Amino acid sequence: MSSNDLRDVLNLPDSSSASGTPGGSHRPSKKQRLSAPRSNLKGLAREVQSLGGDNPIAIVPEVSSFKKRRLANRKPAARWDLAPFRNSARDDPSLMLRHWRRRDGQHGLQQQEQQQHGTNADASAQPTTEQNGAQVKQEGDNEIEDSAFAKFNVRPSIPQYTDEQYKTHLKSDDWSKEETDYLMELVTDFDVRWPLIWDRYEWNPPATNGVADADGDESKAVVPKQEARSMEDLKSRYYEIAAKMMAAQKPIHVMSQAEFELHEMMLHFNAQQEKARKDFALNALKRSREEAREEESLLLEVKRILARSERFNEERRELYNRLDFPQSEQDISSIKTSQGLQNLLQQLMAADKNKKRRSLMGADNAHPANAAAAAAAAQAQAQAQAQAQAQESSRRESTVASTGATSTPTGGKKKGNQQAERPKLTEKEEQVYGVSHHDRLTSGPVFRSEKINKMFTHKSNQQQQRINNVLLELDIPPKLVMPTVATTQQFEQLFAAVNALLDARKVADKLDTELKLEQAKKAEREAKESSNHGEEDPAQDKSNPDMPVTKGDESASKEDNAETGTTSEAQETTEPAADPNGEEPGTQDPVEGEGSKEAAAEESSGGPHKRSASVLSTTSDKSAKRQKK
Amino acid sequence: MAPPNQLGKRVKLTQVRRPFIIGSTAVPFSDANPKPPGVAENHTHSWKVFVKGVEDTDITYWLRRVQFKLHESVPNHVRMVDGEPGKPFLVTDTGWGEFDVNVKLYYVNESGEKPQTTYHYLRLHPYGRTEEEKQAMITEHGEVRSWAYEEQLFNEPFDAFYRILTAGAVPKGWKPAGGKGKGKGRAAAQPPPLPDPESGEVWDRTAMIPASNRPGQPFSRETEAAEIKKLKEAQAVAEEWTQKTLAELKAKEEELARLKSENGSATTATGKAAS
Repeated sequence: MSSNDLRDVLNLPDSSSASGTPGGSHRPSKKQRLSAPRSNLKGLAREVQSLGGDNPIAIVPEVSSFKKRRLANRKPAARWDLAPFRNSARDDPSLMLRHWRRRDGQHGLQQQEQQQHGTNADASAQPTTEQNGAQVKQEGDNEIEDSAFAKFNVRPSIPQYTDEQYKTHLKSDDWSKEETDYLMELVTDFDVRWPLIWDRYEWNPPATNGVADADGDESKAVVPKQEARSMEDLKSRYYEIAAKMMAAQKPIHVMSQAEFELHEMMLHFNAQQEKARKDFALNALKRSREEAREEESLLLEVKRILARSERFNEERRELYNRLDFPQSEQDISSIKTSQGLQNLLQQLMAADKNKKRRSLMGADNAHPANAAAAAAAAQAQAQAQAQAQAQESSRRESTVASTGATSTPTGGKKKGNQQAERPKLTEKEEQVYGVSHHDRLTSGPVFRSEKINKMFTHKSNQQQQRINNVLLELDIPPKLVMPTVATTQQFEQLFAAVNALLDARKVADKLDTELKLEQAKKAEREAKESSNHGEEDPAQDKSNPDMPVTKGDESASKEDNAETGTTSEAQETTEPAADPNGEEPGTQDPVEGEGSKEAAAEESSGGPHKRSASVLSTTSDKSAKRQKK
Repeated sequence: MAPPNQLGKRVKLTQVRRPFIIGSTAVPFSDANPKPPGVAENHTHSWKVFVKGVEDTDITYWLRRVQFKLHESVPNHVRMVDGEPGKPFLVTDTGWGEFDVNVKLYYVNESGEKPQTTYHYLRLHPYGRTEEEKQAMITEHGEVRSWAYEEQLFNEPFDAFYRILTAGAVPKGWKPAGGKGKGKGRAAAQPPPLPDPESGEVWDRTAMIPASNRPGQPFSRETEAAEIKKLKEAQAVAEEWTQKTLAELKAKEEELARLKSENGSATTATGKAAS
């Protein structure tokens, strides 16, 4: 301790000689010791050690930890037997091999006993009665005693086919039956290990005579060209056969899911693709160092480009966000008053002027001639600048406020942000989700069929009735079976067509009545004319040969005749002599004349002048008669 | 109206449609459909009225509950049916008469929309203008079906609802979490990509309708196309009639003009003659 400290104080170098005593060891070793042994010590040992203080005393604690005793050692040594076993994976079941087996528990004892009896399990023909049960069990055990590796001998099920099946299902232009058989044989031999099969595949087609000879001529000269089969060829042929046989044995619709998947997989084996894949892998392996490096660098480049475009997009989005007009609420309140508006206008004007001034400034400086103007301008400019500055600051404030406003919603309520982030649907998505855009919409839920209902309800009752009648004529129910966009549109068109038809019919009806009227008028006129000068001009009727003979005309004339008949009748009472059409009422059926009288009267009430005059005359006649009475 | 701050703004000028079927099926009592005990003597049919998705897809994500208001004579005539995911809104009962069922649709809370009312006429007996139409309403079990296709249009839905309506399309019966079925291994978390809108598949949470009819699913693009064709033909006929009427009209007009002029000249002539 002291020497060490002294050395420290005197700043003496550590001498190796001083390290002779254990107390005055040099520093590094001391440090080592400080940390190392102390932690280990416990109890009394530690107390003792600590007596030494920093400079521990030279009692080396005895480390007395030997190897731990093995616990298992207490048992007697395990016994091992040379037990016979069989390998069921082998083709020769008679082969019996032996291996060492550890004997354990009951089993071992029994075996021991067995061995003492000197009987092999297989050979024990006469087991003692008391041992019988155990012996049988033993026998069973021994029988089962199989190589642990036998289970790894998995035999895949290779499809089998008969000649018949081959003919019906498996014929191929490319493969002869013999070669197929050969392939299947190889597959069986090598348990579908394709590299092996491919390696051993050596098909020598049997030499055949050019002429198909039944008795097999010895001079078989033509040897078919041997084709080199690639592994993919072999595979595709095998899978084809396997899939077909699978389907032949079990119809597809009965197959379980796993079976069906396997079948599909085998059926869709694509040799081309497989080959391409292998070529690709081969190429990838064959790349030279330079090529590999180039590829790597290209990939890196792509990654960089993508990253850059992403960043660019990000920036652009940010820019858009910034450009998005922020809605400020405070400004509006100040602008709402007319004075505020005025202020704003002035501010804007000033800013505008300021801008213009600045651009003009260069020109002004170039022409000192109009200094006064410049001074005035400068004054104005200063003023404007002050104003502009104020405005600018305010604007800055507003932008700050606006950014604050935009930032707070992004932070706090997400609503505004969400609005901007609403996913833009693709066209396909819009179709799938039934989203459409319209120029005008009233918000709220509606039913599609309502639109058609509305088309009806917007019409008057009478009109609805008419439309329904036409639709009935057209055999169209007034309600759509499937009110979709397309059908509704189509129905609207039909509706328009029906309306057009109705309008046309309406006009036609109107025309009809007018026509009737005119014809009646004409007939009346003619009748009158003929009554006026019937004898003088009896051929007056025939003087209109171009007069169209329509139904309405006829009836009208009939009515007219009837009418004239009645009038003449009425007239007869007063002026029996003046009956120009005497022969006409005679031919007329009196009943019809009576019936049509009313109709004629009705018509005449709607009809103008001349006719009504004649009717008037008759009524006046009648009234005259009454008066007479 | 729900507070807009929760639902966001309305998505302007946008319309989302959802097809559904509203209909009724009635079966007369017979040996095959025996009258359950406790049913009044004069009841002749058992029937059900329902609102469901096309191809029985789930519609409960936009429709919360349906109120069926039956005829007043039916006991407990206002029936509220709350939606169970994947099941139709259904009311079953027995009766002897046909009547209008007032169907009120309550939308999910996210929609912020008021309930809407529509009608469905409960038919117990086949109805149609022709025998064919009547027969078409009857299925092989003697059921009388009166089903109507309808499209629910959400005009300018609220943002929150719009999101519900335009996301989460999955094939019918597809479950996002595990489950059995084929091809589950690779797509356990991610729903499969959207199908082609023209494919005729029908997925849950979409507005798709099937391409062709199947038994029990009479509404499809096929039906739509047939209807369009029928309407087009009718339109052609109507236009033809219009043409014909117009042609007649022209002839009549000419005639009228001729008659008028004739009559006019005659009157002036007689007037002159009279004077």
